Amino acid sequence: MLSESIPQALSPLNLEKVAPGDYAKTGYHLEVTATPEQMPAVAQALLKEGCFLESLTAVHTSREAFTLVYHFANFYELCRTAVHAVLPDGAEAPTISHVFPGADWYEREVYDLYGIKFAGHPNLKRLLLPEDADIHPLRKEFPAEAEAKAEAPK
Amino acid sequence: MITSGIEEKTFVLNLGPQHPSTHGVLRVLLEMDGEYITAAEPVIGYGHRAHEHMAENRNYQQFLPNMGRVDYLHALAFNQGYCMAVEKLLGLEVPERAEYIRVITNELNRLTSHLLWFGAYLMDLGAFTPFLYCFDDREHILDLLDSLTGSRLTYCFYRFGGVPKDIDDDFISGTRAFIHRLRSRWADYDNLVTKNVIFIHRTKGVGLFTKEQCQLYGITGPSLRGSGIPYDIRKSEPYSAYPQFHFEIPIGENGDIYDRYIVRLREMEQSCRIIEQALNKLPKGPIMAEKVPKRIKPPEGEVYTAVETARGEFGIYIVSQGDVKPYRIKLRVPSFANLSLMVESFKDNLVADVVAILGSIDVVIPEIDR
Repeated sequence: MLSESIPQALSPLNLEKVAPGDYAKTGYHLEVTATPEQMPAVAQALLKEGCFLESLTAVHTSREAFTLVYHFANFYELCRTAVHAVLPDGAEAPTISHVFPGADWYEREVYDLYGIKFAGHPNLKRLLLPEDADIHPLRKEFPAEAEAKAEAPK
Repeated sequence: MITSGIEEKTFVLNLGPQHPSTHGVLRVLLEMDGEYITAAEPVIGYGHRAHEHMAENRNYQQFLPNMGRVDYLHALAFNQGYCMAVEKLLGLEVPERAEYIRVITNELNRLTSHLLWFGAYLMDLGAFTPFLYCFDDREHILDLLDSLTGSRLTYCFYRFGGVPKDIDDDFISGTRAFIHRLRSRWADYDNLVTKNVIFIHRTKGVGLFTKEQCQLYGITGPSLRGSGIPYDIRKSEPYSAYPQFHFEIPIGENGDIYDRYIVRLREMEQSCRIIEQALNKLPKGPIMAEKVPKRIKPPEGEVYTAVETARGEFGIYIVSQGDVKPYRIKLRVPSFANLSLMVESFKDNLVADVVAILGSIDVVIPEIDR
């Protein structure tokens, strides 16, 4: 049972929260809260449990902070683990791309759209936007379409 | 990672972005040592339309038409994923008849996607005739779905709480006739392609994905099942009415192009099985949930739902702050992860196999670019 073995594998890491999730409401079987610094170790533990990285993204929660959201799932048993890690604005998060090479592009995408830097990433450059873009459009201070139109010179 | 233009022994070859076999605008830089590839770096983002940014500036209903435009070949699965996520946030129950209609239309849409892949992929390999056969078949489904949804490709058919239009007897009889016709074609497809010795030589043992690689990169869909892992969201995390139907998950053995081809071909037969069962068991009743609020304003919280598209797992992550607009929507698209592994598997292959490998994972570039 992954819902039991994953909390066991994570227990030596002293994470802030490892709790069963409300699957009917959120789609998570396990909810984990960690710090960004603990993420490589968390990823390593989940890799050993046979999980794969489903998605990696960020949410701009407030003026001062982002939340990095990692979703892990398993090919053989239904157990979705969501890991939340709060990252202060301007701080760097360690990469997990050496554990899951698939995280390489996800981290580049987060850097591209939010400007969050991942320390130790082998090739941290823009992915979706042009190389010379100077915007990070998913930050909340970035103007919405209607505002951008109103500000554009006529 | 390709940094310098010309090393001593190698040279850089540019593929795309306007190449007919990149199926969209994908550019790949290939570092070549003679005929062999030593490194590959894709350049994506040419079709970036900022769907995720649009989502934060629209209310929930206004974002619905966007879903048909992310993956234009299996638009209804994206409709399904988004509607399921919002229904979960709102706690809405979808009536059974609506779930059946969703399954039937979804599987028809999967057939169009696989048929298009089948034809276009063989055209990539230099075989023109299968393309005409597939497009002939595919046209029948497009007509059926057109009569029901009003559009041929970028469907926006599902609603929060159900579907807006019921299927009629013409649609049911048309679908039955089509399934009968498609089944009579399998022998033709096998004779034309599966047993074709040129095709076998080009695809067996080429573009291998190992199980370990699939785990490290998060590969899903037929590209994963070709490597022998039976992971299909319709079975492993059942949604909608799928638990009520009998179907199998075809898997391959070696994880080469040939196996991915066989998996897709067999999946089409499974889709036919699902549609047939759904038509036979179609329950009576309403097609929309009662008490769907006019103003969609989900309570605070977050949700992740996954559905199986023709290319793999589409996951949608919504953060709601109790507003009429979503606070954050993340679209986890299957081709994104699949493409990042494919680039790895280019290494040490011949340049002549690049198009064969690229086509075999069935990429839809606008889906990656979002």
